[in-house]
Amino acid sequence: MKRAILSCNGMDKPEGSVAREVAIRFAAATGSEIICPVLLNRAPARYKKSLTESALIVVDGCSTRCASRLAAGLEARVERKDLVTDAVKALGRPLESSLSLGPESIALAQSIADDLLRNLNAPEATREPDTSFEPPTEYLIVAHDKFEFRIPAVDYFFNENDVWVRVLDGVARIGISDYMQQSLTDINFFDPPKAEDAVEQFGELGSVESAKAVFEIVAPASGTVTAVNPAVIANPGLINEDPYGSGWLVELKLTHWSDDLGLLHDGATYAEIVKRKAEEA
Amino acid sequence: MGVPRDKIPWFPTIDYQKCNFCMECDTFCPHRVFEQREGDRKLVVANPNNCVVFCRACSKTCGPEALSFPNKPEIIALIKQLHTPGSGQ
Repeated sequence: MKRAILSCNGMDKPEGSVAREVAIRFAAATGSEIICPVLLNRAPARYKKSLTESALIVVDGCSTRCASRLAAGLEARVERKDLVTDAVKALGRPLESSLSLGPESIALAQSIADDLLRNLNAPEATREPDTSFEPPTEYLIVAHDKFEFRIPAVDYFFNENDVWVRVLDGVARIGISDYMQQSLTDINFFDPPKAEDAVEQFGELGSVESAKAVFEIVAPASGTVTAVNPAVIANPGLINEDPYGSGWLVELKLTHWSDDLGLLHDGATYAEIVKRKAEEA
Repeated sequence: MGVPRDKIPWFPTIDYQKCNFCMECDTFCPHRVFEQREGDRKLVVANPNNCVVFCRACSKTCGPEALSFPNKPEIIALIKQLHTPGSGQ
């Protein structure tokens, strides 16, 4: 598969310079095309053909996420993303303060590029959808201004972080609500949790991302990750199209469901929460 | 949550040594947790209880990494301790 890499241009802070170095090293190792963010912004037609033909790797320097936001405006499939500030946190000490990279920053850039390569060669395990989960048939509707937010009337439970859970035979399927997908607008990336990861209720189950925000999936229940939706990895837009059905994200084998349920809301109560949030915004 | 919101100390803290007052977080947050002010501290956490418990989305917009949140496992433990089934919102 052809790949192209889009990174921060590295002129604002050292993390950005590291992102730029990651792109250079990744491109050298894989023969991928480097997308210049400045030129992309100024003359997007220059990259139209390669973005259609390639999977995109995006490397941001900091949480301003300039490269991600540029990527969100493209018709490109984002295969992987990286954020240098995360790698710096893992390193446990701040970067050298200069935009010209010293040996330690170059080593960090190399290790991020190596990790990217390793992950691309060993993708996360996913699992085909379990067809016994039927999509909801009856919805409650919360209307606000010109928007309508749908909430399944039965079988779905919600946390206040706009994440739903539906349980069948001890397996929980999890996704985000219609209200949240509309708030995020076009979702272009799903960063999944790892299979076999154990998660506590309200722990993190990966994130989804749009031009507007990175949305952390707050686990509605505790359990072990048994599946990640391969269709959503390939096409995150499914979350926008069908948030309660084919746009599901993760399946969990539940561990404390009866306890967890006490801190969740049914559709009717969640509808009140959505109404309040929509009015607050 | 079944626990009164004001009993849950979950909201962002601004590190004024790092904040560059770009206001990305305030632009982003739909719950009006932040407010812009006159003077040195041009941004404050004005409505901490509007913050959705466990949401950290504003910190993911912050380039200078100036926003922090409490330790999540500690807050989860506190909620579970305070929660009484049927106690309402």
